[in-house]
Amino acid sequence: MTTAEFIPTRRAAVVDTLFRFQSLFGLVLVLAAAVVFSPSHDGDLVFLSSENLFNVVRAIAEIGIIAIGMTFVILVGGIDLSVGAVLGLAAVGSAVLLVNDGFGVLPAVLVVLAAGLVFGLLQGVASAVFGIQAFIVTLAGLQVARGLARIWSGGQGVAIAYGDGPGEAPVAFSLLGERTFNGLVPIPAVIFAVVAVAAIVFLRTSAFARHVYAIGGNEKAARLSGVAVTRVKVLVYGLSGLLAALAGIIHAGQLNQGSPNDGSGYELDAIAAVVIGGTALSGGRGSVSGTVAGALLLGVLNNILALNSVDPNVQLLIKGLVIVVAAGLQRLRPTP
Amino acid sequence: MSGKHFALPALVLLLAACGTTHENSGQGASTSAAACKGAAGKYTIGVSQANVAEPYRKQMDDDIARAAKQYPQFTVSFADAQQDNAKQVADVENFLTQRIDLLIISPNEATPLTAVVKKAYDKGIPVLVLDRKVDGDAYTQWIGADNVDIGRQAGQYLADKVLPQGGKIAEIRGLAGSTPAKERQDGFAKGIEGRGIDIVTTVDGDWLREKGQQQADAVFKAHPEIQAVYSQNDPMAEGAYLAAKAAGLDQKIKFLGIDGLPIPSGGIKAVEAGRLAATFVYPTGGREAVASAKSILVDCAKPAKTQMLATELVTQANAAEVYAKGNR
Repeated sequence: MTTAEFIPTRRAAVVDTLFRFQSLFGLVLVLAAAVVFSPSHDGDLVFLSSENLFNVVRAIAEIGIIAIGMTFVILVGGIDLSVGAVLGLAAVGSAVLLVNDGFGVLPAVLVVLAAGLVFGLLQGVASAVFGIQAFIVTLAGLQVARGLARIWSGGQGVAIAYGDGPGEAPVAFSLLGERTFNGLVPIPAVIFAVVAVAAIVFLRTSAFARHVYAIGGNEKAARLSGVAVTRVKVLVYGLSGLLAALAGIIHAGQLNQGSPNDGSGYELDAIAAVVIGGTALSGGRGSVSGTVAGALLLGVLNNILALNSVDPNVQLLIKGLVIVVAAGLQRLRPTP
Repeated sequence: MSGKHFALPALVLLLAACGTTHENSGQGASTSAAACKGAAGKYTIGVSQANVAEPYRKQMDDDIARAAKQYPQFTVSFADAQQDNAKQVADVENFLTQRIDLLIISPNEATPLTAVVKKAYDKGIPVLVLDRKVDGDAYTQWIGADNVDIGRQAGQYLADKVLPQGGKIAEIRGLAGSTPAKERQDGFAKGIEGRGIDIVTTVDGDWLREKGQQQADAVFKAHPEIQAVYSQNDPMAEGAYLAAKAAGLDQKIKFLGIDGLPIPSGGIKAVEAGRLAATFVYPTGGREAVASAKSILVDCAKPAKTQMLATELVTQANAAEVYAKGNR
């Protein structure tokens, strides 16, 4: 290699690195803006107060968990529009099982997680085995999950009251309802962090993950080189359903209620977090760590706009612009 | 596959988990006494709205903003939860970190918002709850109207004035699973009890004009003999009216709505123009909330726990007058 060739290559490498870390730079930028624009009380920045930071991470935990499942789905070139409705279904399921059916915490959680997993797997089968477009399958899944949630709940929010008597949920479940544990750690954020770390490690080390990227990059080539494309795709949708159900259980705990209308529109927030995190909607390129950064970015943005009492209508504009800019930056990224 | 840039998000999570903790500082319900600083004080009022996309709730915010203009001491900031319980909890928490002096909240649903409203109240912040309630009694005052009663009045009006001989009607409900939809349905059923009125069909219009229109299209195809439509809000009634017009039934069928917003696209104007036979004002409580805020913060008074607002029947006879009153 001559020097003349070397320099542009290196520049390309720098550019590529910049784009890889784009969601992170975005996050740092928004964090810096949040500190600069933070209102202050008695000389303390409100944004940096522990209570406020708890609020931020707690607020993004559910979207973040869903977005991690969504990342896997988008990496194989799919999409899952059903996650918000599955979250609602899981929230209703948790409430009904605990309150009306007298389930213990562990059985209830396991049943709900299994339901989410099966729901996702079925969507995966419809999409990967029968070749119906994921967009359509999961759009239908959204409707089905909402319908099931309405039937299961009797069309009304099911309130969760705690106690030992009939019609009361075991007190252990209220741990999820605690805004913070020991006044220090927000439980939903801890669960989100655990899921995120597990997903990051899994995506960086497992053979399954290599197959995920291979399918998203070029499905035909992956199939020809022996990847079990159908199986991987089905499992990925199952994972997404499972994580949506997990988020739904947290949702029910946090809000003391399972309502059939819970989580509506969450799928779009999750997709936004994935896209801001630098994962290509066409599949094959992206990361869970980017998605986590994307979810944090959205959370910090929401928080600082609210702390500054920005008009809610203008907030929508700003959030929309940030998503477009992030997606636009992705297009500038040189393809390898 | 991407590099190892997961360190920072993890760090942020960690930072968030380890920040200096001075939460729960102002425990104990030492409510209004501490909040009151008299006429000379400056006050920030946080308004947490469930969903500004609904015209009724937009009107509530507008009423609050307009009424608050009378008091130069008040700064009002608005948050919109976009119909999401979780977002509304976060909105209130943001208000708490902003250290507002008084909270006005119109909850999206009761149970999910109860804990955070209690948290605010326990910190000594006066809380005015509008329209929908919260569970328990950890709030300063609830201001609202009785949906069951309004539904009952609508039923009685239908039985007395529209179909005194009895008849067949259709009911268009709001969003399934929402409390007001159930209450307006139950009240209405009581109002028409034993009056020979047969609800031929009940459909869900989700509070939306376009959904009301679609559902009514199908209803009029299946049951052209219907003589009246009870719609749980005005936009769905207007949608049903459009469907009837398209089917050539608009002269034959009478429409009842609820909400009666004093805005150009609202139910009062629709009654005045003759599209709806009647509507029932569902007051927003916005002005009353600001009046309560003033008495708590400026006059150091302790308001009653409940402020029940009366509805008002709007017919063509009084529509113009009610409209003017609402915009005063």
